[in-house]
Amino acid sequence: MNLVGDLLTTLDQMVNEQFDSIEFKNFLAVPLTLERGRFYVVQNALYTSNRRDCWGYVQGGAPLEVKRVIWQHESDELINDPRAGMDHYALTVKQGEVIGLKPEDFEKAEIPPMVRSCFYAWHHIAMHNHWLTAYTASHMLERRNNGKIVKGGGMSFRVGKKFENELGINLKKMISLDVHVVADMDHSENISEMFERYVRTTEDRDLVLKGAQESLAIDRAYRGALGYYMEQIK
Amino acid sequence: MGAGISSIEAMWEELVRLCNAQFNTPPFRRLLSAKFNKERAQQYSIQMAYYVQNRRDCWGYVQGSAPFEIKKLIWRHEEDELIGRKNEGKVDHMTLAIKEGEVFGLCADAFQHTARLEGGEVCFSAWIRLAQRSWLEAIAGSAILEMRNSGELIKGGSLSRRIAELFERDLGIPMKQQINNAEHVVMDVEHAHLLMQVARKYANTESARRAILRGAEESLMIDRVYRGHLADMLAALP
Repeated sequence: MNLVGDLLTTLDQMVNEQFDSIEFKNFLAVPLTLERGRFYVVQNALYTSNRRDCWGYVQGGAPLEVKRVIWQHESDELINDPRAGMDHYALTVKQGEVIGLKPEDFEKAEIPPMVRSCFYAWHHIAMHNHWLTAYTASHMLERRNNGKIVKGGGMSFRVGKKFENELGINLKKMISLDVHVVADMDHSENISEMFERYVRTTEDRDLVLKGAQESLAIDRAYRGALGYYMEQIK
Repeated sequence: MGAGISSIEAMWEELVRLCNAQFNTPPFRRLLSAKFNKERAQQYSIQMAYYVQNRRDCWGYVQGSAPFEIKKLIWRHEEDELIGRKNEGKVDHMTLAIKEGEVFGLCADAFQHTARLEGGEVCFSAWIRLAQRSWLEAIAGSAILEMRNSGELIKGGSLSRRIAELFERDLGIPMKQQINNAEHVVMDVEHAHLLMQVARKYANTESARRAILRGAEESLMIDRVYRGHLADMLAALP
């Protein structure tokens, strides 16, 4: 039995199945309008902020070597991604200009109730679980965005294509989505390497699977919520 | 705690006063009156490496809950600690602690195979718990330990400096060879200002200033308990 190899295969299968879930299908089927697109982009910035919270918590609970990997990961996200020349939050705000959003639209944005619940749930996993569970929970969202693993493209790619096909905005102009199409390939591969080092027993594997299952469940709820709120924008 | 929080400057003065008062408490006095020999220095050095690891845990949690721009400050702070300043030829602080151990006759294995002090473990858990509280309490809880280690703020020298002086007095090891202590004597002067940077922007209400003081006071309390355990450990060694 190849413990880590089988585990990685399972994780790949899980992120692919995510796109067959009713929540993902509904979300990706909501027709985009400019207003809905604006809502999505603002919400995506809040999602990015929540990711920064969670990776901080994961860094807190992880072994020293893993802390260093996460710190490096957060360099792109918090400080400067050389692919974009800015941090990922600034990138999202900049992307907003293409669809008429201003920085204050992001500053004043409210987190809708169902989204807020998902953010708190991700905080909970990141802060109150074994580090392998917490680490995997955050990692899976990047693995689910990795086009090398997800057949048909990761979430950023698919949403970027919706902007292109339904609003006529070229993916290259949606700079945050475009950067994430590539960035999350690198991130998910770097982070995934740690499984090779730290998953030694079936108990370790189960801690990883717990994080994967729980985070993807929240992710489905989150995408379901976004789809619901977008549909309310007429 | 009612006094000393009417303004950010008053709060800062109170924090500095608390850090200085730390050195007059029985646990700090006991620790700083210890006579070091090689074995005591070795054990102290190993336990301090665990303390450094716990700091990394806590700062991670604080980074998680802090606002975005403060996350960036903490990320840069952690560069010194976790990664080092490669362009200045400075290594991370864990590597530094292990390298300093060589001066006391320790090999790297000793840092991996020596058990954590039981009392230390309890204090580490308490600090983590504090780091998971509201972000102002949490950041104060971590930042105050660097204020307590700042020679600029502490009359008579920071904790790292005082310990380094004991090593020099008792073991004849000059400060410049104690590379970890020497680094912290300098670095924590710089790091000690982080809390003031935060306070200037976020401590504009009395409740915010109270949260900072609460976090700082709790952390200093844990710090006293921790130093007391270290003093007990040293006293129990030949």
